[in-house]
Amino acid sequence: MHESLLIYRNMRYLKVAVALVTVTGLLYALHSPVENPNGGTWLGYTLGTLSASIMGWLAWYGVRKRSFGGPSIRMEDWASAHVYLGIALVIVSTFHSGFQFGVNVHTLLYFLMLIVVFSGVAGLYFYMRFPRLLSENRRGLTTDMMLGQIAELDSELSAYAVTLDDATAKAVFNAVHNTEIGGNLLSQLTVDNPNCPTLLARKFVERSDGSHDEATRRKLLTRLSKKEGLLRRIRQDTKLRCLLQLWLYVHVPFTFATLAALVTHVVVVFYYW
Amino acid sequence: MKVLSRYGTRKSSGDLAIRDEWMDCDAVLIGRSTACDIRLTDPRILLEHARVTVRSNEVYVETVGEGSMSVNGNMVDLAKVSELDVLQIGPFQVIIEPNKGDSDLTISVELINPLGDELENLKSRANIGIKSIGISKRKWSWAAALTVLAVALFWPMVISWFVPEPLVNVEQADTYDAVVTPTEFWTSGGISAAHKFFGESCEVCHEKPFIPVQDTACLTCHQSIEHHTDPVHFPTASFDGDKCQSCHKEHQGNQTVARNDQDFCVDCHADLTGQEPTTMLRNVQDFGTDHPEFLPSVVVDPALRQMSREKSMSGPDLPTENSGLTFPHADHLRKSGVRHPTEGIVELGCRTCHVPDEGNVSMLPIDFDRHCHQCHTLTFDLQLPDRELVHGQPEELFMQVSDIYNATALRGGYEEPDAPVIVRRRPGTPLKETDRVAARNWAEEKSAQILSGRFGKGQCGECHSVVDNPTTGVWTVEPVYITEKWFPKSTFDHGSHSEVGCLSCHAVDTSEKSSDVLMPAIEVCQSCHGGEVASNRVPSTCITCHDFHIDGMKPMRPEKSAASQTGSRLAVVDPDALRHVTSVSP
Repeated sequence: MHESLLIYRNMRYLKVAVALVTVTGLLYALHSPVENPNGGTWLGYTLGTLSASIMGWLAWYGVRKRSFGGPSIRMEDWASAHVYLGIALVIVSTFHSGFQFGVNVHTLLYFLMLIVVFSGVAGLYFYMRFPRLLSENRRGLTTDMMLGQIAELDSELSAYAVTLDDATAKAVFNAVHNTEIGGNLLSQLTVDNPNCPTLLARKFVERSDGSHDEATRRKLLTRLSKKEGLLRRIRQDTKLRCLLQLWLYVHVPFTFATLAALVTHVVVVFYYW
Repeated sequence: MKVLSRYGTRKSSGDLAIRDEWMDCDAVLIGRSTACDIRLTDPRILLEHARVTVRSNEVYVETVGEGSMSVNGNMVDLAKVSELDVLQIGPFQVIIEPNKGDSDLTISVELINPLGDELENLKSRANIGIKSIGISKRKWSWAAALTVLAVALFWPMVISWFVPEPLVNVEQADTYDAVVTPTEFWTSGGISAAHKFFGESCEVCHEKPFIPVQDTACLTCHQSIEHHTDPVHFPTASFDGDKCQSCHKEHQGNQTVARNDQDFCVDCHADLTGQEPTTMLRNVQDFGTDHPEFLPSVVVDPALRQMSREKSMSGPDLPTENSGLTFPHADHLRKSGVRHPTEGIVELGCRTCHVPDEGNVSMLPIDFDRHCHQCHTLTFDLQLPDRELVHGQPEELFMQVSDIYNATALRGGYEEPDAPVIVRRRPGTPLKETDRVAARNWAEEKSAQILSGRFGKGQCGECHSVVDNPTTGVWTVEPVYITEKWFPKSTFDHGSHSEVGCLSCHAVDTSEKSSDVLMPAIEVCQSCHGGEVASNRVPSTCITCHDFHIDGMKPMRPEKSAASQTGSRLAVVDPDALRHVTSVSP
C-alpha cells in the first residue's frame, strides 16, 4: 500500500469508471421505452449484461490475487480497477433496475450487491487509514513486548497484593488474573471496557483510604495505571487489526451470496421470460 | 500443643522439597498474614483464611471470615479431618499427617496450583486476532451462496412443479380463483389492475419456461381484438412482426398495460399523408398545438342516409346538417318558456330531452313519444279529441284519417254544425243506401280537408319537410335521419364533464336553425385540454379521445385468434363470439 490504490497510475481506473457511469447515465437519460424504465428493455438487457460481467470480473479478483505468476497484469492494476469498477457497479446496476425495487429475488440481488460494495468501501477505508493508526499506537512495540510488560506488571502487582487487606488483594488479583485481552468479536472491537478488572482495581485503590501505607498504595496505582495504558494500546491494536480483516468476513461471504443471487436472477428472468 | 508444619515445594525434577517448621500454639491459624501460624503466600489466600484445632484428639478445620475450603472436593466451613482426608485451601493442598517426634499435630502444605508464568498465562488468555473467534470465510461463503440458491431459486421452482396448471378465461373471471405459485417471489413488478384477478398464476401468461410470452396467451381472452386499420389498404399500419407485448408491457405496477404515450401515435400520424397518400386522415402531432380542426360527420341526404365529413367547426363555411327535421333549439329554450297543452307555460332545459345513457357517457337518442309528444300532440279534430295522427308512418296517414272519418260518418253523432245531417244524426241510427254514399263522400272530403289543412299537412310541416307530389297531387313527409355521433372516431365521456355546463360546449341557446351543428370547435376543448406535455392544461394524449384498436376493424391477429381456441389447456370460447367485421368505416 506504498502507493494508494486510489491514485494509482494517475487514477486511470477512476477515469474508466467515470466514463462508464457517464455513458450509461446518458443512455439511461435518453432512453424512453414504452413502459417505465426497467431491466427488460434493450438498454435494460444491455446494462444487465454489463453489470453481470462486471460482477463476475470483480469476483474473479478473489481468485486472481491468490494465484501468483499469472498473466502479466500487475496486482495493483487489478486492485485499483476492482475498487473503481466495484463502485461504478452500484450506479450501472441501478440504471439496469430502472429504480424498480420490490420484495423479490431481483431486489435481493441488488441488496446483496450493495452489502458487498459497501463492505469493500469500508475495507478500502480501513486499508487506507489503519496502518498509520496502528504504527502510531504501537510506537515501536510488538504485541509480545506489550504483553511482556503487562506480565511483568502483573507479577509485581501479585507480589504487592500479598501484603494487602483482603478486599484490595482481591481487586488486584482480579486485575492480574481476570483482565481480558481480546476475546469474542465484540470484545476485540472494544477498547474501553468499563468493567475491566484493572480499571476497577485502580479505582478501588484510589478510593481506599489509609487502610494500607501510602507507599504501597502509590506503587499499586502507578503499576495499575501503567497496565491500563498498555491495555488500551493493545486493545486499540487488536481492534484495528480485527477490523482490517473483519470487513472481508462480510465482503467474501456476501460475494458468494451475490453470485448465487445473480444466477437466480438470470434463471428466473428467463424462466418467466 | 506442639505443631509441625511441613511446607512442600515441587522441584522442576518433580521431587518434593520439604521445609519443616515447629511452633507452639493452641490453634493453628492459616492465612496470608505474617501473623498466621501457617503462612500461605498466595494472593488467592485471605489474610486469615482457616483455623485448625485439636479437641479430644480429633482434628477440626474451620474457615475464618470469608475463607473457603474443600474437604475431599466438598466445599465445607467446618470439618473433622483425619489422616486420610485431602483438604484444599485455595491453591494449596493441606494434609493432616501422622505425628512425628513429639508433635501433637503435623500439617503438610503444598502449592499444587501455582499461578505459573504470568506472561504465558497472559498469552494463553489473550484472544487476539479474528481467527481466534473461529469463524471461517469459506464456510460462511458456501453457506450464504447455497442458502440463496435454495431459498430463492430451487425451492420455488420445485414447489411450482406440484402446483396444478391454471386455466383461465375472461368469461370465468367472476369465479376464477388464482392459483398462487411459490414463484410469486420471482415477480419483477406489480401486475396491472385488469390482470390482477389471475396475476398470481404466473403460468397463465408464461406458458412455457424459458419461452417468451406468446400472443396466444393474450388472445385466450382477447380473441377478437380489432386491428388499427385495414392492413391491405394501409400496409404501413399492418404491425406485422409485432407482438402484443411490443406495446402492452405487463409488470409495470398497478396501472393499465395500454400505451398512452403521444409519441407512439405521432410517430406515424405526424406525417400520415406522406406515408399513406390515400388516407382521409389529416396529420397530427399534439392536441394542444397541432391537431386538425374537428370535422363533424353530418347528414346531407336523410333519404339516402348519406353522410359527409368535409367542413370543419371553425368555419367560415360551417357544416350544416340536413336531417329532414325542423328543430330550432333557441325557440324551445326561450327564457320565457313554452306553452304546454295542459301545464301552461313550462321552461325547457337540455336535460328535458337529452338524457345520458346508463354508463353516463353518451346521450340517448331523441324519441318523439318521450320527448316531443307531450307538447306536440297530433290531434286534428276538436270533435275527435282522443284521436291523433299516426307518427312515423306517413304512408299510413291518409288511410288512417280516411278510416277515422268513414267510421265517424257511418256511426253518426259528429257534432260540428257545418257537417251534413246524416253525419250529425243520433249515433246508431240506420242509414239508407243513398245516405251511405253521401256519408262516404263527406268522409273523403273531410279527411282531404284535414290532411291538407292546418292540422294535417300544416301540423306535420311544423317539424318535417312536407313535399307535394306534382303527379299524384299527394303530399308526403320527407324521411328523417339524425346523426348519432358527429365525431364517431373519438369518444367523449359526458359523465366526467358533468361539472361543465352543456352550453359551455354546445351553443344551443342562440341556435335558430335546425341545420346548425351544435358541436364545439377544437378551441373549446383546447381551453381546458393540452397535449401530453401541457403544463397549464389537462395533459391529454391521443388515447384520451381515440382508440388504437378500432371498432369494426378485422381482428388484429386472426390466425392466432383461431390458434388460441385450439390450445389444449386453454379454455375454449364459442367461435360464434368471434367477430369478423368486413366493412371498413371511412
